[in-house]
Amino acid sequence: MSSDHQSSENVSARPAVQIDGVTKSFGNTPALEPCWMKIKRGEFLTLLGPSGCGKTTLLNLIAGFLEADNGELFLGEDLVTQVPPHKREIGIVFQNYALFPHKTVAQNVEYGLRTRGVPKEESRARVKEALSLVKLENFADRKPRQMSGGQQQRVALARALVIRPRVLLLDEPFSALDRNLRVSMQIELKEIQTKLGLTTIFVTHDQNEALSMSDRIAVMSRGRVRHVGSPQEIYEHPKDLFVATFVGDTNLFRARIESSEGRTRLDIGGRKVEISSEQKEPRDLPSAVIVAARPEQCSLTSVESPDAIPATVAVVVYQGSYVELYLECEAAVHGRIMMRDVSKSFFHIGDKVGIRLATKGLNIFGSEQEIG
Amino acid sequence: MWWSVDLFVVKTMSKRPFLGLFASPATLVAISIVAALLAIFQYSLRAYVPGSLRPGGFTIENFAVLWKPMFRKAFLTTFLLCFWTALLTLLAGFPLAYAMVRSKSSLVRGGILITSLTPMFLGEVIRTYSWMIVLGKQGIINVCLLRLGVISEPISLMFTTTGVVIALVHFTLPIVIIMIAAALSHIDWNLEKAAASLGAGRVRIFFTVTLPLATPGLVAATSTAFSWTFSAFATPQMIGGGKVQTISTLVYQVGFSSFNMPLAASLSLAGLLFTIAVLTLFNVGMRKIEKLGDC
Amino acid sequence: MKKAFSDHLLDWSGRLLVLLILIFIALPFIVVFIVSFNDSSVVEFPPKHWSLRWYFNAFSYEDFVKGLRNSLMVAAVGSAISLIVGAMFAFVFNRYEFSIRRPLHAILMSPLIVPNFTIGLGALLLAKGIFVPRSFGLLVLVHVMVTLPFVVRGVSVSLQNFNQAYERAAESLGASPWYILITLTMPLLLPGLISGWLFAAVLSFNEFSASLFVANLRNQTLPIAMYNYVREYADPTLAALAVLYVVTSAAVLTVLHVFFRLEKVLNVE
Repeated sequence: MSSDHQSSENVSARPAVQIDGVTKSFGNTPALEPCWMKIKRGEFLTLLGPSGCGKTTLLNLIAGFLEADNGELFLGEDLVTQVPPHKREIGIVFQNYALFPHKTVAQNVEYGLRTRGVPKEESRARVKEALSLVKLENFADRKPRQMSGGQQQRVALARALVIRPRVLLLDEPFSALDRNLRVSMQIELKEIQTKLGLTTIFVTHDQNEALSMSDRIAVMSRGRVRHVGSPQEIYEHPKDLFVATFVGDTNLFRARIESSEGRTRLDIGGRKVEISSEQKEPRDLPSAVIVAARPEQCSLTSVESPDAIPATVAVVVYQGSYVELYLECEAAVHGRIMMRDVSKSFFHIGDKVGIRLATKGLNIFGSEQEIG
Repeated sequence: MWWSVDLFVVKTMSKRPFLGLFASPATLVAISIVAALLAIFQYSLRAYVPGSLRPGGFTIENFAVLWKPMFRKAFLTTFLLCFWTALLTLLAGFPLAYAMVRSKSSLVRGGILITSLTPMFLGEVIRTYSWMIVLGKQGIINVCLLRLGVISEPISLMFTTTGVVIALVHFTLPIVIIMIAAALSHIDWNLEKAAASLGAGRVRIFFTVTLPLATPGLVAATSTAFSWTFSAFATPQMIGGGKVQTISTLVYQVGFSSFNMPLAASLSLAGLLFTIAVLTLFNVGMRKIEKLGDC
Repeated sequence: MKKAFSDHLLDWSGRLLVLLILIFIALPFIVVFIVSFNDSSVVEFPPKHWSLRWYFNAFSYEDFVKGLRNSLMVAAVGSAISLIVGAMFAFVFNRYEFSIRRPLHAILMSPLIVPNFTIGLGALLLAKGIFVPRSFGLLVLVHVMVTLPFVVRGVSVSLQNFNQAYERAAESLGASPWYILITLTMPLLLPGLISGWLFAAVLSFNEFSASLFVANLRNQTLPIAMYNYVREYADPTLAALAVLYVVTSAAVLTVLHVFFRLEKVLNVE
């Protein structure tokens, strides 16, 4: 949206946001371990992780509400590590929106233009444009408390967009909305973001939001970025056990790796499971491993079948289009696994069943890793 | 600028706009308060030169004088006044605060609030004067009691400890009501409902749920009532009329009738230490009792 | 649900108790009201003849007129300083960690424990020690000392309920610290600032025992003038003045209650 750089054509010299070895600790507690990241122009990047993982710290560092202990931060061409928040040209949608309660919707949206000394005429036009972008043209004179949660969020978005920010930061913006509204707001936000080609950093602890909205996801835990990748990469090829268990449902099995005659087999609770050669080289891994299988990589079979892992039905949950089965299984790390049965066969608690794992796409990790 | 000197900074936080600018005027006021207290301390250790406003050399004589019966009696009177006032104020303030917080009618709430707050806006002198009229020989209490035949001779509550306590309760009531109401209003109603659902009667709920939860507020209110009473000057002076001597009235008398500033200073200093000691003992004691309740 | 007889008894005895306490609070003012219209120059109850002459006397008595002017001046200047100093301190005390934060707070709040007469005496001795006369400035300083804790407390309550996300939002929108202070923080803290100022003004206007030590004949305040009057005369002039006081205060409080909801201002909701 900004026209400042159009004359110099080498816009791609730097990414929209570049984080170079930034760290932050509070007292003696490290909140963010050295972090490197590049966010491309127009990209939608999500910081995903449980509470206390450092995602909010990183967001506050980018916004300038916190000062980095080490490292450097670039927004476009500019080094902004020492720049105070009000000079960073960043738009933020806060968790509870933080709409100024004593100002009307229009005054809220106008606020960022007044601080910039934008002339009255232009300012009025831009406020109107921003409000129509979020479909709130007719609400300009309302006070925030007279509006619903979804409308308040649109105001917050308009207020952040009207200043034509270099980056849009979203701090768990959907957490206060109920489920249906949340989904429609997600779609709307994604539409606006794509239309404007706006570089966006989104903070959430909700993996579904992350998977459905992002171009890339950065999974964080304990102040460290564990894995940065597209939703598909994160889901299908998680870098470590934490990522595998935090994103999506996962069943974990204790196993030993056996190699003979150039073939690799897993020994899970005495049953041998063949795995295809596209898996990681077995010699990279210790012999004791943990196998991560998504529910859709598990299927039910007869307990007598030679490659079936034995299990017992513990809980049956009817979910409409499928049935969720919780099975007790000795070979599983937590003693329990979950799978979905679309055939909705009638199982009873206590039924003995066999589980067969898919031969492709299983993820295998060293058994000493942290589980999310 | 001079105020941005590192004087205030120990931990490094990223941004603290206005810190030096905003803290400086308050620091000046704090310095004045400390200086005033130090002036009292300094005077309390100086000799009294009769007929002169300038103090003499350093001595601890003044504190020995305080051991005289007149001053010892004043300490005792002050303590008893504070004790009875705090106790009665608490007993009178609690029902009112409770009614104010719990009443369903906003008219009742507003009525209680305004009635109990108005006296606070009147100051000590007006309130004490009003009580002088009520308590005097020709006052309403005497007139009523005489008419009803309860008494045959007018009794005077003026110049008595009882009279002073009545006026002091009236003086401390508003602040105590506000403090108790604040404590009560922060108690979760659902806790009382939960107790009721478990079969507790209203009296039982009050003593086992409401009262224990309000205790910290009640302790704070009692402390405040105590120090307000201790601080009161016009009430004991005007209603006590010299017959009921408290530390405050003596400080004024010693300072302005005999111009013995060193003695007045040592008396105020002793009085201040006395209140601090009593309040500390009270708070520590209450905390002990609360802990016992936890076991 | 039908209430048991014992519950009814509890309700009604509670109401009776509350009513009795309210009467206790109002009693002296009712009596003063009646006495103020008494024609006799000795206070007596009930009055035999009625008159308004004590009201005229209250308005024409020179010490009262002068006292009122002095009190209004001291209260206006003192409460304004107290509000500014107290609100600024409450701001940094609630927001920041700094080395003298706690000691500073303890000293500023100490007048809640240190009696007013002690502060008055201390200020007098201090002024004597550094050869400062008993002046208007000294009087104002004492009033600032004794009213400051109430401002700090009132503004702190508002600050604790203040959501700092507003300020962050404004910062992200390009507002400088001063701009945020003026456009957001101050307007949003207005109820707290007003109630803090009001408390300071009322306390200052009525302050008696500390002022007694530091005021001189020229700048004696209204409470001191009233105190001196009671010591010299026994007529109901002061009753008339008390009635005016009560009526004004109750009216101000009622207006405040209607506009600001006092429960909210006093944090007793």
